[in-house]
Amino acid sequence: MSFLDASNQPFALKAFSTLFILVWCVIACFPLLWITIMSLKLPLDAFDSNFFNVLVGPVTLQLKNGVSVASILAISLFSMYFYSRRQRLRNYLRASIGYSEDVTLFLFILLLYIFCCISISIIFSKFFDAYLGLFGAKIFGFTLDHYHAVWTERGFSLFFKNSLIVTSGVVIISLSLGTLAGYGLARKESSIAFWILIIALIFRALPHSVLVAGYLPFFMKSNAILSPIFGEFAPILYGQPLAVILVLVAINQPFTIWLMRSFFQNIPKELDEAARIDGCSHFQAFRKIIIPVMWPGVITTGLFSFMLGYNDYLVCSLLLDGQNQTMVPSITGLFNRDTSTTDEIVAIAAAVSITAPLFFIVLIFQKQIVSGLTAGAVKG
Amino acid sequence: MKLKSIIAILTATFISTSVWGGHHACDYKNKEELTMLSNSYDAWKAVTNAMASCGNFTATLDKDFQQKHSDALAANPSLYDIVGISNGSITPLINAGTVRPLDDLVKKYGSQLLPNQLIKIDGKIMAIAMSVNNQHMMYREDIFSKLGISEPKTWSDVLSAAEKIKASGMVEYPYGGAFKSGWNIAEEFVNMYLGNGGSFFGSGNAPAINNAMGVKSLETLKKLTAYMDPEYLASDSTYAQKQMQQEKIAMGVLWATRAAAMDNAEESKVVGKIKMVSAPMGDARPASSLWWDGIAIAKNISDAEAEAAFQVIMEGIDKEMVKANNDKAVWLIDGYKAGKSAMGAKMTADNGAVPYPSGTRMGAMHGALGTVVPDFLTGKKSAKETLAAIEDAYIAKAKEQGLM
Amino acid sequence: MKNRDFIFFVGPSLVAMFVCIAIPLMFVLEQSFFVNKKVYKEVEVESCVAGFTGQICSVEMQTKPQLDEKGEIITQKEFVGLESYERLINFDAVKKAFWQQNFLELENVKFFSALRFTVTFCLITLPFVIILGLVIALTVNNLLSSLKGPIIFVSLLPFIITPIIGALSIRWLFVGDGIITAFLEWLTNSNISMFSNSWTLELMMILYRIWHVCPFAFIVFYAGLQTINKEMLESAIVDGANRYHRLRFIIIPHLMPLIVFVSLIHLMDSYRVFEEIIAFSSDAYVISLQWLTYDFLRLDDTGNRYISSASASSILTMIGISILLYPLIKKTWNDYREGKL
Repeated sequence: MSFLDASNQPFALKAFSTLFILVWCVIACFPLLWITIMSLKLPLDAFDSNFFNVLVGPVTLQLKNGVSVASILAISLFSMYFYSRRQRLRNYLRASIGYSEDVTLFLFILLLYIFCCISISIIFSKFFDAYLGLFGAKIFGFTLDHYHAVWTERGFSLFFKNSLIVTSGVVIISLSLGTLAGYGLARKESSIAFWILIIALIFRALPHSVLVAGYLPFFMKSNAILSPIFGEFAPILYGQPLAVILVLVAINQPFTIWLMRSFFQNIPKELDEAARIDGCSHFQAFRKIIIPVMWPGVITTGLFSFMLGYNDYLVCSLLLDGQNQTMVPSITGLFNRDTSTTDEIVAIAAAVSITAPLFFIVLIFQKQIVSGLTAGAVKG
Repeated sequence: MKLKSIIAILTATFISTSVWGGHHACDYKNKEELTMLSNSYDAWKAVTNAMASCGNFTATLDKDFQQKHSDALAANPSLYDIVGISNGSITPLINAGTVRPLDDLVKKYGSQLLPNQLIKIDGKIMAIAMSVNNQHMMYREDIFSKLGISEPKTWSDVLSAAEKIKASGMVEYPYGGAFKSGWNIAEEFVNMYLGNGGSFFGSGNAPAINNAMGVKSLETLKKLTAYMDPEYLASDSTYAQKQMQQEKIAMGVLWATRAAAMDNAEESKVVGKIKMVSAPMGDARPASSLWWDGIAIAKNISDAEAEAAFQVIMEGIDKEMVKANNDKAVWLIDGYKAGKSAMGAKMTADNGAVPYPSGTRMGAMHGALGTVVPDFLTGKKSAKETLAAIEDAYIAKAKEQGLM
Repeated sequence: MKNRDFIFFVGPSLVAMFVCIAIPLMFVLEQSFFVNKKVYKEVEVESCVAGFTGQICSVEMQTKPQLDEKGEIITQKEFVGLESYERLINFDAVKKAFWQQNFLELENVKFFSALRFTVTFCLITLPFVIILGLVIALTVNNLLSSLKGPIIFVSLLPFIITPIIGALSIRWLFVGDGIITAFLEWLTNSNISMFSNSWTLELMMILYRIWHVCPFAFIVFYAGLQTINKEMLESAIVDGANRYHRLRFIIIPHLMPLIVFVSLIHLMDSYRVFEEIIAFSSDAYVISLQWLTYDFLRLDDTGNRYISSASASSILTMIGISILLYPLIKKTWNDYREGKL
């Protein structure tokens, strides 16, 4: 693109923008990087006010485990090589497996990369470090104890399962309802459609606590209220992850409808109209013509739904009981038991564990997000 | 990186285990699926670990347990079988009738219990006490003797000692405490106010704190904050404990259950340097209140579950557990030997501290204190205004509840 | 599209929104005019509790709620009109503030201090988010395409991270002698405590929010830049338009709908500010409207929820956001009437 072509830029501007983007990248990833480092150290290191002590972790090194300079060098060299060859690897895999699904392929490559890194570090610590002198000396202390504690002792796997249930429920239900509605609204030319959108916009603006204030009394007493309909089987909705899905879908629906509608508006009307002339009903046209081309928009919208369901703190913490939480609100539970500094690092390890799936999802879907947004999901 | 630990992490992701390792041996093989909710400090960790050795038992440890157990136990069936409670937090459960009388179970399985452990309300045993607790003074003996300061007995002693320590610059902040806004700072006020001889209510559940004793209590708290980490309103018991362990503070009035942690070499840099003494005296008695911690069983569970739960509890608070965790609390259980770390708690009680005045209205008062007292400490309101605002906040709560 | 088809497509969502949003809202409105009072009675209770040396037994009068035959607490629903609102807003304080023209006094009323913070928070963060997002988008767009992928990924991190965890990670950097506080203290040679003043807390919340949201603005603007009409830009260059002119007269107008979109979303989201209060435990200094409702909704130590107050504060919160969004919604409405949408 010539208008913003970097080669045309004056030197000062180029230098400034390079510096700016560097600073931004550091700011963007530093907090995350830092808590990941903290979670691998013993409390005395993690809470040290000296930057290098936290990074190196002398106490952790002494009491637990460490990695050597050599293995870090090896891993970074390998990473650079791997990154530069990723395209070739992808093509090779595609040809040899005969597989063309981008996302799965990417996931496979990612796992392969992680596996290689872990193997390299194991190989070094087992076989090479002893012969490498200074380079082989372990200098960065780390321990996985806190992760072990989070996942095995603190019931985090249950929370993980709940998060999985709630998030996938929210994504599936709100996408299926939202896609239909978005299509309908995009193809309807009357002010009803517009009014529905405005109302949805206002609903989108509601603070979530407002809705919870409406749900909570009902959820607590739902067995008494619902018993005329369900008799003895009337459930107490309070504390049920499945019931939370309903609330989150309600919260999410307005935004889903907006995004999907503006996305469908950018799919030319002529496409489905041509199908209709061939004798298809609206529904058939939707199924045969629209569904095959709507995926970039669905993935983008789905990602927003995913983030809403996965990241929610307020609704889950008020409507679920502490023992049967999703992951995100459980983090305050972990804090609330911090009677020792070790517990605090365990909470940090939990925070990193919560972030990891998000990290991978964006890594996998990054291209789709940008292309989905570009394809018009954000036309206002 | 050890392959073993990697495999452990990977498998841990897929397998859920509920029992955590403990060396305690359990004589009772539990068959019912039991759950428990309790506070989270070390004593509770010790007890729940011992209970877990009986199998099929999961505990949720949470500092905010008292905001959760009312609803959880009101559900039918109850979300937890067993609850850890204290004199402050049992009231809503008794009021709502969601914990069960234990007389029969005590008769059948409770031969190990001492009479002092049986909490009776209206003649019925409603809970089994396991330990007592209060807030008392902990200070750095080394610093005090180096500066020639004698043991602080009253709050003016504390303040003058703080001044000397500040001048010496030996620690970052002379004083530390659990001043976190909400429950903790309210508890600090309650202690001061009780120490000054105040009572909280007049007739008809009307508040009665807007008086000279209230003003004095507030002012003492404010004077202390001058010697504290400026982030005191975010400092809970754990934070204060950490400050003491990391040599950041030289003294503080902290919970007795935190005393043992000062001598834990894995976390603490002040092993053997801390002396435990009575809470400083207010005008009438030590500025502290007496608490007990105990265990109760939910009403909305089957009798079979309750019977199993009781037997698991008995295993959790037996001699063996106390022997292994002697210094983690001031236990009421047979076999406990009061050690060095219990001295502060005992002296405070001997000096005449009174029990925390728990009850429905006190709950509302505690809540009101927790939200308004910070306004005085940050200088938003004067002492008189603060006390009036506390009374207003209490009245608003009491009215919405129907107390007034 | 025929109405029948339209209903088929849109119906499920409409029903979901009506049942799950509109009806609860009506409940909230109703609840704000009523309170559920427990029925209390004074009773004499003899209790024995554990003491240090032996049991302490006492007989005292206690106020206890009455239970019905099923063992549940008896409650009475009572119409209180605007009393819950009165308690929140404190009409007397408002009147006094108006008479004395001293609106700072209102900070003493929790609701108004929450309102003040929430609104300033929204309005201060908005321009930063838009401008920073735009600058990042323009800069990334200029990069070599091999660098774009990794940099977009890194830039998206603050946005995808769970808000409460993002806020906590900032807290860990600053709390006590956290790494950044220690660094700043070393730099300025002074004692800094970020969590002990309302202004430092507010500053941190604002910085955190800008950090968290500007990737969203960035990615939306970046996507918008990909659809820009290149011929128009090329002809502008031929006409001698410099960089600034191209930005001012071509790029920004092209992105205008997206800027409105991001502003709208950002105002809605930042009006909900909540996680920061929890993560920074700032409630002694700074609270937000949503936190106020949350605080009424969660159980207090006596096992009570203040549903009526929570509902009243919800309704007021809702009125607030409607006023704040009115200009933007009106603009959307005008655009629609002029056929731009």
